[in-house]
Amino acid sequence: MSGIGVILGRELLALLRSSKVLAILLTVSVSAAFVVLLKWPTTAIVDLDGARGREVFRWITYAMLAASILAVPVFPSTLLVREVRRRTLELLLNSPLSRSSIYFGKLLAMLGFVVLLLSTTVPAMAAAYLMGGLTLTGDILRMYAFLLVVCLQLIVIGLLVGTWSRNTESALRWSYGVTFGLTIVPWFPDALFPGGTSPLAKGMALLKLISPIPGLLQMLNQNSLSGTGLMESRDAVLYYLCFAGLFIVAGSAVCISRLSHALLDRSRSQGYITDDQEGWIQASRRLLYIVDPQKRSKGIPWLVNPVMVKEFQCREFGRMHWLLRLVAGCAVLSLLLTLASARGTESRGVEYTGALIIVLQVSLIVLLTPGLAAGMIAGELEGGSWNLLRATPLGPARILFGKLVSVLLTLALLLCATLPGYAVIMLIKPILQPQVVQVLGCLVASAILAMLISAAVSSLFRSTAIATTVAYGVLIGLFGGTMLVWVNRDAPFGHSMVENTLRLNPMAAALNAMQAQGFTSYNLLPSAWYVAGVSSALLLVLLFVQTLRLTRPD
Amino acid sequence: MASDQPVVEISELSKHYGEFVALDRLSLSLNRGSILGFIGPNGAGKTTTIRILVGLSRPTSGTAKIAGADCVRELSKVRRLVGYMPDKFGSYDNMRVREYLDFFGAAFGIPRKERQKRVSEVLDLTNAVWMQDRYVESLSHGMQQRVGIARTLLHRPEVLILDEPANGLDPEARIEMRTILLRLAAEGRTLIVTSHILPELSRICDQVAIVAGGKLRAMGTLQEVTRTLSQRRTVEIQLLSGEGMQAAAARVKKALEADAEVTVSEAETIIRARTSAGDDTLGELLRAMVLAGDRVGQFREVAGDLEEAFVTAAREAEAERDAAGAAQVASREVSK
Repeated sequence: MSGIGVILGRELLALLRSSKVLAILLTVSVSAAFVVLLKWPTTAIVDLDGARGREVFRWITYAMLAASILAVPVFPSTLLVREVRRRTLELLLNSPLSRSSIYFGKLLAMLGFVVLLLSTTVPAMAAAYLMGGLTLTGDILRMYAFLLVVCLQLIVIGLLVGTWSRNTESALRWSYGVTFGLTIVPWFPDALFPGGTSPLAKGMALLKLISPIPGLLQMLNQNSLSGTGLMESRDAVLYYLCFAGLFIVAGSAVCISRLSHALLDRSRSQGYITDDQEGWIQASRRLLYIVDPQKRSKGIPWLVNPVMVKEFQCREFGRMHWLLRLVAGCAVLSLLLTLASARGTESRGVEYTGALIIVLQVSLIVLLTPGLAAGMIAGELEGGSWNLLRATPLGPARILFGKLVSVLLTLALLLCATLPGYAVIMLIKPILQPQVVQVLGCLVASAILAMLISAAVSSLFRSTAIATTVAYGVLIGLFGGTMLVWVNRDAPFGHSMVENTLRLNPMAAALNAMQAQGFTSYNLLPSAWYVAGVSSALLLVLLFVQTLRLTRPD
Repeated sequence: MASDQPVVEISELSKHYGEFVALDRLSLSLNRGSILGFIGPNGAGKTTTIRILVGLSRPTSGTAKIAGADCVRELSKVRRLVGYMPDKFGSYDNMRVREYLDFFGAAFGIPRKERQKRVSEVLDLTNAVWMQDRYVESLSHGMQQRVGIARTLLHRPEVLILDEPANGLDPEARIEMRTILLRLAAEGRTLIVTSHILPELSRICDQVAIVAGGKLRAMGTLQEVTRTLSQRRTVEIQLLSGEGMQAAAARVKKALEADAEVTVSEAETIIRARTSAGDDTLGELLRAMVLAGDRVGQFREVAGDLEEAFVTAAREAEAERDAAGAAQVASREVSK
């Protein structure tokens, strides 16, 4: 126990000393207080059914969930990677502390941070309780306990990812990826292929329950969302808690087993190269791989931007053989979406299926873009390679162009994969052709905006981990936060307020163009394009100015 | 090897960060084909000078030129003239050594065919051909230093500026690094090398510049620098036998100034004296010893070493800083 205490004390103290933690706690606390202020009774009319109190409760819960998903994975995922890179893990493993003491010390320190994070909303929650309509144990404490389990699962994800990743950037990317995979992705199969009594359909319906969101919505009695895929007749809370419990136990066991000297001893390939092998080996590898990953590169072609090629080469999955796999994956996704479009259109209408594809695409953009773009400048500044780039004759425009094109090409690949889905929609309902074109315009705008936000954020920080987290925060705020205003349309936000807010979000504009349910009463196009265009232009200017500043002599 | 043509010319170079003076009117000139050991304590202004020379930093005043190109106004020209290896390697993930060099070659605008040839050449020159297919981040520090030098050579620069190339290298790797640097100088390149490993520098450099407190304290050949900075000389007196050594040591002590350090090594039958005495005094000492019947086998002065010069320069800078601090306090007191 004393071993756990030593680690716990050190980690928690380090966390509490960090200005980042203070900023997070302040932001959550101020956001929660703002919600209360917004809803605090200003007239003498008594709210007998406690609707206002419940509404504040809902908002604070959303804020807590968003803050947890955004902030909690950052610390555990980068913690272990930093310890490995600074060789302090070696010191810990060579001390008398057991592996489980080290693990649980870190886990509890992170949990301490989570408790602090959740407790910043206690005053706001107390105000909501005073407004009425809530019970202390049935609503408030139950919600806190549920969120604590969600955070515990996120911590385990972070620590687990930390034992595999080689750098903080990759750790963050994977942590957010797994979090996204466990919270958002499980909805899509059931939403795209609804109903059905086959075991597969039942499995897909059950899969949804591994996400904490259905359980949370059930606890909030959030019928206003009314998305068929969101509400659940089963006890979603119980299902989630069982899954989360199993995940936490299994994840902890795996993590403890991986906390060993093997973490410090990761060897890289010593440079096996096909070119040095016999002819038949080279031929068979070419047949097998199409693009052989172990073949010596022929060098960067004369007219191609060298920074762009370098960006692809440095990326974990940027090599040609990985891009081919990505194309294949996108083709499979495309086929699935085509099938879903055809089936969904029959059962639920074109608009519903179109809206789902839009949400899926934008979710993928939000998930992938910070990972691709948030480290483009911050990573080089952090690793010391920026000075090497500055010492070459490459100008800021060429450096920036190469970096942006490398992200844009990857995003374009992703967008192209979903085109057949839209083709099916247009085939079934040809009248929708202009709308589909508008949707595609919105998606392109979303991709460009997401890329420029992440890149601009990258130019403002010298740490990839911070830049990636901030980029995720801004993108989730833009694409998800504005949707929260839409969720609470008409109360407390009026029609014009919701419409103006949605103009900031190109995904909302796409849903509007697709005439998705709940978006028909707004007029978002073409103003949303102008907003996205002007924002992108401003971000590009900011990015260029920053790059120019960073490449100039100090 | 070195010609009379100056290739690096620094004149009255100053760099201020607010109140802090990182460089104070530093001037030096370096001829083509020389190897300059640029040394000084931490925070002396070495890296600031180097950053100005490679165009990463702008001086507050003064000029710096490389092969006639101004380091502020002709930046693009300077970048092609200089090969710079910073103290931090700056690797990229998932890149093999050959790809890493190919990227920097392309960044310098070398056409693909020529680049492939050039990459092979620089790998050969730095004895790094065998690691061309390895991943850069998997290399040991010594290997990375070699790749770093190979990178600086890609565009055939006239001047190579290497910041701490021997830092963290084991003795074998250090010997290899030394061989590589000497080979580059033999090719006619001018090298500016910073290092804290002074014996290493004294073996390869034909010029040494010592900076401390932002000022150039001494520059010239190793002997010139040590003569300028060393206030004491070391004299070794070898006796033919160990008999009467203590008495002879007492005579030496008496003949020299009061704070001269005299030590006796009975095993070597050598008396060592660190003294600030001039040649006349030492001549007198030798005469007195011979007259006293001491059997003197050898009487020699040991050449001053770089470490001593380095320490003297550092102490000088420290004393200047203390004096400046005291003057500031005094002026504040007066104004009160």
